[in-house]
Amino acid sequence: MSIYMMKQETAEAKAVVVDDMFLTTDMPTTAGSKMLEGYNSLFEAEVLTRLKNAGYAVAGKTKVGEFGVDLLGETCYFGAEYEGESLQYPAALAVKNGDGKAAVVLDVNGAPRRGAAQSGLVALKPTYGRVSRYGTIPVACSGETVSVIANNGTDCREVFCAMAGHDSKDGTSLPESMTEQGKAAVNKRNKVAVLSSMLKGVNEEVQAKIAAAAEQLSKNGVEVVTIDAQTVAYAGAAWNILMSAELCNNVSRYDGVKYGYRTKNYTNIDELYTNSRTEAFGDFLKSAILFGSETLSTENYSKVYDKAMRVRRVIRDDMAAMLADCDALLMPAVSTLSYDRTLVERDKYLPYKENFFTAPASITGFPVVVAGGVQLVGNAFSEELLLDLAELV
Amino acid sequence: MEREALRRLCLLNQLSLTDTQKDDVISFFAERDADTATLDAIDTEHVERMVHVMPILTVVREDGACQPFSREDLQAGAPETDEGYWCVPRVLE
Amino acid sequence: MKYETVIGLEVHVELATESKIFCSCSAHSFGAEPNSHVCPACCGMPGMLPVVNRRVVDFGMKAGMMLNCDINRVTTFDKKSYYYPDLPGAYQTTQWFAPVAVNGRVDIETSAGKKSVRIKQIHMEEDAGKLVHDISEGTTHVDFNRTSVPLIEIVSQPDLSSAEEVEAYLVRLRTLLRYAKVAECEMAHGTMRCDVNLSVRPAGSDVLGVRTEMKNMNSIEAIKRAIEFETARHIDALENGTEVLVQETRRWDDAKGKSYAMRNKETAGDYRYFPDPNVMPVVIDDAWYEAIQNSVPEFPEVKREKYIALGLTEYDAERISESIMLCECFEEASEACGNPKEVVNWITSDVMRILNAKKMTYEMLNLDNQALGKLISLTGDGKISRANSKKILSAMFDDRSIDPEAYAEANDMLIGEQNDDMILDVVKKVIEADPKSVNDFKNGKEKALMALFGKCMKELKGNCDPQQLKVILLECING
Repeated sequence: MSIYMMKQETAEAKAVVVDDMFLTTDMPTTAGSKMLEGYNSLFEAEVLTRLKNAGYAVAGKTKVGEFGVDLLGETCYFGAEYEGESLQYPAALAVKNGDGKAAVVLDVNGAPRRGAAQSGLVALKPTYGRVSRYGTIPVACSGETVSVIANNGTDCREVFCAMAGHDSKDGTSLPESMTEQGKAAVNKRNKVAVLSSMLKGVNEEVQAKIAAAAEQLSKNGVEVVTIDAQTVAYAGAAWNILMSAELCNNVSRYDGVKYGYRTKNYTNIDELYTNSRTEAFGDFLKSAILFGSETLSTENYSKVYDKAMRVRRVIRDDMAAMLADCDALLMPAVSTLSYDRTLVERDKYLPYKENFFTAPASITGFPVVVAGGVQLVGNAFSEELLLDLAELV
Repeated sequence: MEREALRRLCLLNQLSLTDTQKDDVISFFAERDADTATLDAIDTEHVERMVHVMPILTVVREDGACQPFSREDLQAGAPETDEGYWCVPRVLE
Repeated sequence: MKYETVIGLEVHVELATESKIFCSCSAHSFGAEPNSHVCPACCGMPGMLPVVNRRVVDFGMKAGMMLNCDINRVTTFDKKSYYYPDLPGAYQTTQWFAPVAVNGRVDIETSAGKKSVRIKQIHMEEDAGKLVHDISEGTTHVDFNRTSVPLIEIVSQPDLSSAEEVEAYLVRLRTLLRYAKVAECEMAHGTMRCDVNLSVRPAGSDVLGVRTEMKNMNSIEAIKRAIEFETARHIDALENGTEVLVQETRRWDDAKGKSYAMRNKETAGDYRYFPDPNVMPVVIDDAWYEAIQNSVPEFPEVKREKYIALGLTEYDAERISESIMLCECFEEASEACGNPKEVVNWITSDVMRILNAKKMTYEMLNLDNQALGKLISLTGDGKISRANSKKILSAMFDDRSIDPEAYAEANDMLIGEQNDDMILDVVKKVIEADPKSVNDFKNGKEKALMALFGKCMKELKGNCDPQQLKVILLECING
């Protein structure tokens, strides 16, 4: 089983791989779904244009789980990747193989960070809005961010810098003036806080990673404190609501009419819609669509969706307050360093549970670096600081 | 989530589920509802909703038309077209 | 028992922008080749992101000001989800939580007297595509040219009570929105569309009856017929129990003169609105607000009164103030020539005649109004003959850049002041050649003078002040 949807030879010295959430004009884009099998885009993602302008070549497109919302790609229609019984993240494997300097991926729901944490790689999910989302498959638009996975912080930084910057085609792209001001406002405190409330449910291996990271930081002169930040532990529940609702809306466009998969089995428009979607979408996606739809129903909107949007503000404010006093919040990225096939197949909703760890950065738009198997979440615009810290763990 | 409510939800989202899938989804909803309920622990009464995490305001473009894409290209991957139109089974009004 | 009808309207108006609301495709979809104004965004493909067309907000605000609304200084966009083939993304981006304008008022006058119709809100949104059902059997053809063309929806309170009031309201809306130059408002082009919410209750009751919503009327006349039919149907149901009224959406069939219940889906109305994460809140700061406020024109009544004060008849003042284009033409041409009465004569005769001949509406008037004023001056000063000035006006309709004086000069239409001698020469020549007419005139035949006058004019190719010619001609005949 290949980790690639498509791989191509490149003569360029500087190569990257991208995942199948980025629209490309020379290769199909499927988002891991039968719905988009063979889909050819008429335009390419802004980040690819920028990378090419910076002299990078795209060496291939790695597989993703259906619309990028699962654990590590296990819901990919074109096949999941296991090493033995251990689930693997295709983009992380590509980096480990040395197929490119970095993998450029869309962090919809934490998969790239889980992949990097379990593979011992470095991942950077920048501040929301620093990298254009133009030309990415839209799923959970309020939080998804173009991210980088590489062997080390230096490579992450290099590729990130080649992609970042304002793009007028993306209405959520940060103006340069705001970025400059934001970067200037970042103050190094030389202090990192471990969030004890985020250690819930992690196994010993992961606990050891947290302890090791804390120790490394201490050794390098960084003060490490422990904070019990209760509200952050609710990020997963709130993000699951927001993410599913946005996903439901964003994948409603795939209906068998304009492009993509169309069922052969229909006599009227509703059958065309229902059978196309039913035949082309996987079970995990279907449940996410239904859950998301339900959170937006007239009965649920204010007590579920609106509530989650308010919780989002509470969490962001609380994290910003903590980050006023320290450089990063140290927390796990995963509950375990390997997802076993039987666990993945038995617990279909594991991705929602694992979001407990990745949601704080998704829901706040704060940047996060994965290194040494743990996450360091920083304040907006603190990518540089986080990458410096990553060197220490 | 009751079977009947699920049926309606599927209708709304143009999906159809097998009985096994329905059972799965119902148990999934129970899990999700419990998770959602935990949010009640956070007092949000005087908190404004947060839609956008970054405080960017008023992103507008100037009015002006251009047409860089051709119909032929846009319809190249279409399941069914005719005389420049996309086609669907007859929709009754 | 006496009944009263309670009507609220939802009016959709296409805004007259160049491009669509969230992408840069042309918004001029009427009559275009199918799917020739589409891009990946407006045909539902993934990856493009919406960026709001500033002029849509300008126009939304301006429409709100015309209808006496409060402008929401922070206005936001939301997504509304449902499946229909004319909606390529299966969602419409609209304004649910914070529409651009709220709490307005439109004043109307009918035979029942004056009335204020309250406006609940005006929201900006994207239009849906077009479905064509008659190309082939069993298939619906889908055209996305109209998808994402900007609309405003104007939602009234249920303050209307008759077809006549509805007509007055719609005409008033159309006039005001055309005055503001934000929309064409042509029902026949679909740039103004109207859904009618109607219920009937015993006169004087304060409880609303069962409400039905009617769609698919494409003229004001059709709307009036639909209201009359639907009112009668409701009364019949209440009075005679002919049917049980249910809250539903009905389709008006104008050919048959009947409304029909539409096939309502079980899931109809479940739109799952939520804020669009891709569209940032639009904040209308003071500078923006004031710029739009300053562009709001005077209302028709104000103009009408002003024109009467300038000496126009009530009839003419009413006619001119009917259209902002005529107003501008009148005001700018008057400013240029200093003779408003003469300008109004030109507008109501020559300008309207040419518009009519070209099958153009007042709104399509595209004259250089100052040049018109200049033409009127030149004609009044006797520098261009009336006959030639008509030819020049015609040319000015086709070419906005024409300067009447330069054009007259280039085409030998300019009457010079120094050519008394030239006129005299021509007159002498004509008199010499036609002694009979001279004698006839001397013997009392008035017509003979006209014949001589005509011959002179012909010789002069019309480049002559008629008064001046007449004087010279009489002088010569009378020796």
